[in-house]
Amino acid sequence: MVLDAVFRDQWGRVLATLVGILGDIELAEDAAAEAFAIAAERWPRDGEPANPVGWLITTARNSAIDQLRRQQVLAAKTTLLIRDLEAGPQPPEALMDDAATIPDERLELIFTCCHPALAFETQVALTLRTLGGLSTDEIALAFLVPFETMSKRLTRAKHKIRDAGIPFAVPPDHQLPDRLAAVLAVVYLIFNQGWGGGRVDLAAEAIHLGRALAGLMPDEPEVLALLALMLLHDARKAARLRDGQLVPLDDQDRTLWDTRQIDEGRALLQRAMTRRRTGPYLLQAAIADLYLYQPRDWRQIAALYETLTQQTGSPIVEMNRAIAVAEIDGPEAGLAILDRLDLDHYRYFHSTRADLLRRAGRRSEAHHAYRRALDLAQTEPEQRFLQDRLAATGEPYAEAARPAPAPARRAGRSVRLRPGQAPRTTPGFVGSGGGVLQTLLS
Amino acid sequence: MQYALLAYAPQEDTDRAPRPVPGVLAALLDRPNVTGWARLHADESATTLRHDDGRMLLTDGPFIDSKEYLAGLFLIEADNLDGALVIAQELLLQTRPGVAIEVRPILDGRFRGA
Repeated sequence: MVLDAVFRDQWGRVLATLVGILGDIELAEDAAAEAFAIAAERWPRDGEPANPVGWLITTARNSAIDQLRRQQVLAAKTTLLIRDLEAGPQPPEALMDDAATIPDERLELIFTCCHPALAFETQVALTLRTLGGLSTDEIALAFLVPFETMSKRLTRAKHKIRDAGIPFAVPPDHQLPDRLAAVLAVVYLIFNQGWGGGRVDLAAEAIHLGRALAGLMPDEPEVLALLALMLLHDARKAARLRDGQLVPLDDQDRTLWDTRQIDEGRALLQRAMTRRRTGPYLLQAAIADLYLYQPRDWRQIAALYETLTQQTGSPIVEMNRAIAVAEIDGPEAGLAILDRLDLDHYRYFHSTRADLLRRAGRRSEAHHAYRRALDLAQTEPEQRFLQDRLAATGEPYAEAARPAPAPARRAGRSVRLRPGQAPRTTPGFVGSGGGVLQTLLS
Repeated sequence: MQYALLAYAPQEDTDRAPRPVPGVLAALLDRPNVTGWARLHADESATTLRHDDGRMLLTDGPFIDSKEYLAGLFLIEADNLDGALVIAQELLLQTRPGVAIEVRPILDGRFRGA
């Protein structure tokens, strides 16, 4: 249906403009929802208007005025707001006709939603709701939390933005690098969460957001690089799973790769590289690209990881460098790097270590590491993959030792968005490694 | 002598923003010996700043009381939270190590100066 397409593409756009006009996300959201509902009823009957976005904004704006009147919470401020709205510089007719006159304020909105005064989980949820147009239900499902929890989190965030005066604005230049890093971290986390096999296609959602950002900030290399990174990973989606099993990269059926998406990712990467600034996403996208070639240029991959480690100080990146070094100098060289890392809580650390131990012929140690990885695995395909590896390391896999399938516990664990890994207070490189690592795993 | 009176309230679900100050209380607040007062937004609107080794740490939410004691308060004016955070940072940099500042929007109030 036509409206679905419009909804997907335009919800964020319409909502952003309304927040700009109304100065309140909650009010804007209610009004936008009503406008889309009216559209759902009228458009099939009367035909789609010439300018759907303008129509939606105007209808929502009118609905907001009605609602403010109805509520009769007529504090002086509200009265002023209604007067401003009615005497607004753009009469509804103008909005209806000319899409060009409607400013696109999605950037302002995403910077508001990803403000550092909001908890990281809140930034993620709010961005999905406001820019992505996902329902509270869908977001709750995606992050495996009860509907009420998510609903409360979103409501609280909207109230905080209103009450604490979180600005609806693109940050000034001196703050932009940090603030942009926070926005990119949110988008990348959404993408990585999407790889976990949840019921909502968050990876597609993240790419959608990434495209919007790349359109709005076409000169920011990190924005382009993040989109490139996501496209390069996502292009292999169809090949990653076979009969519910994770397929390692080198065993993947390359004919299943989305070459159009790979081309698009590479073109973006080229564009980002011409800006001559190296950021963490650019490095990761370049690495993701290198992984697609056969034979693999491990020296260059290791060198890029080294730069990335210097930029981010992330032990997860260092872990990935260990994998590249193992390819160049053998598994023991990789293990020597791993031994220096404090990543015991990180599930992929144990699977990585297990793999190197197995290749180094240290079977019993490998077996233990696989078991530890299995304890921490979060998705079924991961668990199955690790169970196979565990079995292949020889020692009989005692049924009694198998970690009891505890869906409640698992759900509780995955609620936390990468605990400790994405401190909201550290702008820059957040949620790193997961995506890169998945290149290796699959 | 001047005194600061600090009012603590239990959690509530309702939005206190549209609720006016009750009449009797309003009359008390108008007395000359009340030199200023402020009603704050709920603690859900708070942001807490800490200064840690050259880095400013922001936390979403109120200051969680542990061993620290309430040492003072500043009343500031800013266009928005970003402006308030800049001022809070400047102040925090001049305080002793270990101090945290909770930034809380003021709902309404009146100040005569002291």
